[in-house]
Amino acid sequence: MDKQSFKPAIHFMIMLLTFSPVMATDGPQTGKEIMNRVDDRPDGDDRKSVLTMTLINKSGRQRIREVVSFSKDFGKDKKSVMVFKKPADVSGTAFLNWEYDDPAREDDKWLYMPAMKKVRRISGASKNEYFMGSDFTYDDMGDRNVEEDTHTLVGAETVDGHECWKIESIPVDTEDMYTRKVIWVCKAAEMVIKAEYYDKDGLLKVYKALDFRQQDGFWTLFKSEMNNVSRNHKTVMTMDSVQYNNGIDDDLFRVSTLQRGSIR
Amino acid sequence: MNHSLGRLLLLFFLLGGLPVRTMAGDENPSWLDSFLLTGWAEAIQSMRTHRPNDSLTSRVRLRLELEADFDAFYGFVSVNTEKNWQIDGETGVDLQEAWLEYAAGNWDLRIGRQIIIWGRADGVQITDIVSPPDYTESITRDLDEIRIPVDAAKFRLLGDALVTELIWIPVFEPAVQPSGDNPWAVETNRSENVHVTMADSDEPDSSLENSEIALKLAAYLSGLDVAASVFYTWDDYPAYHRITRSQDDDFFVDYAPRHHRLTVLGLEFSRPWSDFVFRGEAAFFLGKYLETDDITMDPMKKDKLKWLGGVDWTPGDDWTVIGQITGDLIMDYDARLADEAHESMATLSVSKKLLNQTLTLTTMLYYDLNENEIYTRPKVDYALTDALHLMMGADIFCGDGGDFGNYRNNSQVWVKAKYSF
Repeated sequence: MDKQSFKPAIHFMIMLLTFSPVMATDGPQTGKEIMNRVDDRPDGDDRKSVLTMTLINKSGRQRIREVVSFSKDFGKDKKSVMVFKKPADVSGTAFLNWEYDDPAREDDKWLYMPAMKKVRRISGASKNEYFMGSDFTYDDMGDRNVEEDTHTLVGAETVDGHECWKIESIPVDTEDMYTRKVIWVCKAAEMVIKAEYYDKDGLLKVYKALDFRQQDGFWTLFKSEMNNVSRNHKTVMTMDSVQYNNGIDDDLFRVSTLQRGSIR
Repeated sequence: MNHSLGRLLLLFFLLGGLPVRTMAGDENPSWLDSFLLTGWAEAIQSMRTHRPNDSLTSRVRLRLELEADFDAFYGFVSVNTEKNWQIDGETGVDLQEAWLEYAAGNWDLRIGRQIIIWGRADGVQITDIVSPPDYTESITRDLDEIRIPVDAAKFRLLGDALVTELIWIPVFEPAVQPSGDNPWAVETNRSENVHVTMADSDEPDSSLENSEIALKLAAYLSGLDVAASVFYTWDDYPAYHRITRSQDDDFFVDYAPRHHRLTVLGLEFSRPWSDFVFRGEAAFFLGKYLETDDITMDPMKKDKLKWLGGVDWTPGDDWTVIGQITGDLIMDYDARLADEAHESMATLSVSKKLLNQTLTLTTMLYYDLNENEIYTRPKVDYALTDALHLMMGADIFCGDGGDFGNYRNNSQVWVKAKYSF
């Protein structure tokens, strides 16, 4: 597994972790307003979690990926570290990201690979790449600006007993890998709990949030799945050991800490 | 297979080949939770593409790595056990690294046998000279298998953006080059009337005044990494000083290889932009002894600049492309030197992942611009399971008499299996 596989992964870890109980008295009127609320949810000052992805192919063969993630707010900016635990051949790989609030400023990213025993500066990732061989692209997991799609509120529906806004999102970039997405946003949690992804050949993937509830005052996603119907491949994602506002030390987010090769 | 290797393999299988550390958060943590045993086992077999189509690489290797994590203190030990059917000297058990680290808030100290890696280059070493290279199998090994650990103390002052690194190496460690029956040893063709003797290399003793010292300042800024270094070291390669005499039609050369002091000044940078990262490196060697073209002439002491410029491109869809140009520039050049005044090389690495990232196709190409020679390393890596990778590849040398051409009869194809735990 090489470096580009890990690049923007931290973004989606942050997005996955937290879902705040923002209950606006004046409900959003447009699809864009709703997606901005999904994007802007407060998520504590710092957070830690363990993410496990189970990749299941059409013959039922499973592959496991496990990642420990730390992130912390520095004013409006955010710094994050991901440490890969499984599979064994990438265990110890660590990824550091400094994400800036200013959209004109490029994020700073470094990767530590145990086999090479050194830290490399890496560039912004291609967002349509799949994360660690799973069915989630980086875009799917939250590393996508709201402005990159045109969002239209098309109605309200109930999904698994949850009242949802139904939104159709069309990419601004006509070369995007998806031609359109249909998204169901839970009104109570302000999180996406179902999504359908279409390309030029029709339905490509279906996403579902399987277990989400409040922890420490934040809506938290504990289990979800992405079913790639076009290639009979599925990824089940679980989130464990979720912790908020633990006072994570600033030093953890330095390049010099990454260079030690053992985040601890 | 010797007894030590057998015992290590037994230990591995008794431990079940699984990490012994449990995840943090267990209800009843024990002192064992601070330890983690990992590693890998691999077997590789090659076949020469030229006659007699024999094997050049044939070995199995087991790597065990033990970590001990006690908050501010952290220890690491790695051991290689190998059975090599081609190079006898490689068979056995070797302690790879063994070091202890203490990490405070704004400084840390690592003491013991360790691999130290500098530089920004990919598959090429410019400022990356702290750990000397092991060219037992020439350059066909991956770079991470080439570096030799050094006995050292590494102290770092850690700022938010600035890291000051001070390294003390009290024990000299030379580079390893292939010799004897090793198929990667380069034969020297001499006329029948030239008689050569080779003394043992004169290496510096382990003493305080013979220590190697390195200082590096590195800054990690928004959109730019820069570093400057100075390394007061010994040349990893000996200079082949000689005494010559002639008698009748015979010519006698008595070589007395000796390592010399060397000071190396280094500069590095990395700069990301969009889907690209631009990288550069330079190392200025003050007073390096260089080989001459004349067998009667001692090596000459010259200053030398090694440089590199490179770019990483990640266009998406699991493609990675890395291009680099490197050069060696000899100052105050003398035409009697064996090397040219300016030698340069280009490298190109292309990688693509397929089948849900279980299949990786890679090729690395080195092109010697002076000699017009090529070395290329295509590789296919298939992840049969998360732990087991099956690989096949080739080392192809094209040229005639240069660094790559010398190995034109050593081009090989190989298969490899690697199990990680």
